[in-house]
Amino acid sequence: MPHLPELYRTAARLLGDSAQAEDVVQETYLQAWKSFDRFQPGTNCRAWLFKILLHTIYHHRRKWFSLRRVKESEEVLEQAVARMPAVPERITEEEILRALGRVPADYRAAVLLADVEEFSYKEIAGLLNVPIGTVMSRLSRGRKLLREQLSELARSYGIGLAGQEDRSA
Amino acid sequence: MNCEELREYLDACLSQELPVGTSREVLQHVEGCPRCAAELAARGRVRSALQAAVRATPVPHGLEAKVQRAVRAQHSRTRAGIYTIAVAAAAMICLAIVNLSRVKASPEEAILKKNSGRLAVVLNVGLRDHLYCAVFRKYSRQPESAAQMAAQLGPEFAGLAPLVQAKLPTDLRILQGHRCTAGGRQYVHFIMARGDRLLSLILTRKQPGESLAGGIYQAGVDRFEVVGFESRDYLAYVVSDLDAQQNLRLAASLAPAVREYLGAHLG
Repeated sequence: MPHLPELYRTAARLLGDSAQAEDVVQETYLQAWKSFDRFQPGTNCRAWLFKILLHTIYHHRRKWFSLRRVKESEEVLEQAVARMPAVPERITEEEILRALGRVPADYRAAVLLADVEEFSYKEIAGLLNVPIGTVMSRLSRGRKLLREQLSELARSYGIGLAGQEDRSA
Repeated sequence: MNCEELREYLDACLSQELPVGTSREVLQHVEGCPRCAAELAARGRVRSALQAAVRATPVPHGLEAKVQRAVRAQHSRTRAGIYTIAVAAAAMICLAIVNLSRVKASPEEAILKKNSGRLAVVLNVGLRDHLYCAVFRKYSRQPESAAQMAAQLGPEFAGLAPLVQAKLPTDLRILQGHRCTAGGRQYVHFIMARGDRLLSLILTRKQPGESLAGGIYQAGVDRFEVVGFESRDYLAYVVSDLDAQQNLRLAASLAPAVREYLGAHLG
């Protein structure tokens, strides 16, 4: 199936749960199949599938989570991004995924789409249905929050930060 | 460019979204500024680590097969629905040749008889899109705006919408005008409604060997009535669940304007 691994990994990171990610990916292909004759040949099939995926995740969240989505307080975010977090010299897979999981979903989506899936700002704006300016600010904040989380994780583990050479391998 | 200005550009630089000139300025600054160079390197490091870690996410064993099964199951359900009627319709259009007649009593009954199988295939091309696109999709009964329709039809066919509307009886309005695909073939499709009756005007470019020999043909299939006519390069159909006479009258009032438009603009 085209693009299944990319869709799955994005869903898994956004939902934080592999079973839900599987459901959402299946739903995405079913939706895509149903509306395939609406797909315009020559346009980007991968972006089209991602758009369906993100739409499905949005509805999935609404369907399964009775919790209201907590809007991150702008103030808290501002505080977090005002600092210049120091990034560890070496970053393990586990550390970065854990840090990513702590970034609020809207920002996490922007970071995943830009940095992992390498969509352009313009494509991301289309996928998330937001203006390009919003993509840029979410991406910038999302990346900064990620660095912040990484540096906090490193501190909590007592691991040396950038510039320190005594970190054990 | 100073350090503060540079920090503003780092995100766009990392996403390769900076204009060439600005990229050059960023690189020039970074070459002479170890702090900014370290910051850029740190951000690049996080990006690479994130990319590697997320891309390494294993796809659960069996997910692809599970999705394929679900798609196949849905496909066969949909096919069962669409094809029961579409196949029945196709079979009927091919077999119930008694219903196929050349409009405007032609003396060439023998020619009609000889060609009826081929003509039925050509009429079926229009019926297929009506079934797939108008009948099985539930469209909103709210008419689209002229601007929406023009955007969906594209410049080649946008001009046809007002001409068609002008030829329709006052109780018929175009709900939708768009381009669609059915069975791998592209159509220009106007959907109209009167009460719970659904009507389509359908155009498609001729494929090799397809022709209605200059005539207007009609066929009755199940509850559907099809009238087909042609221009040099296009096949055109009026398909509806009206009775045969009403459908034919509608087609007869639309055909001259449609042919004229196709002749003037598209062949």
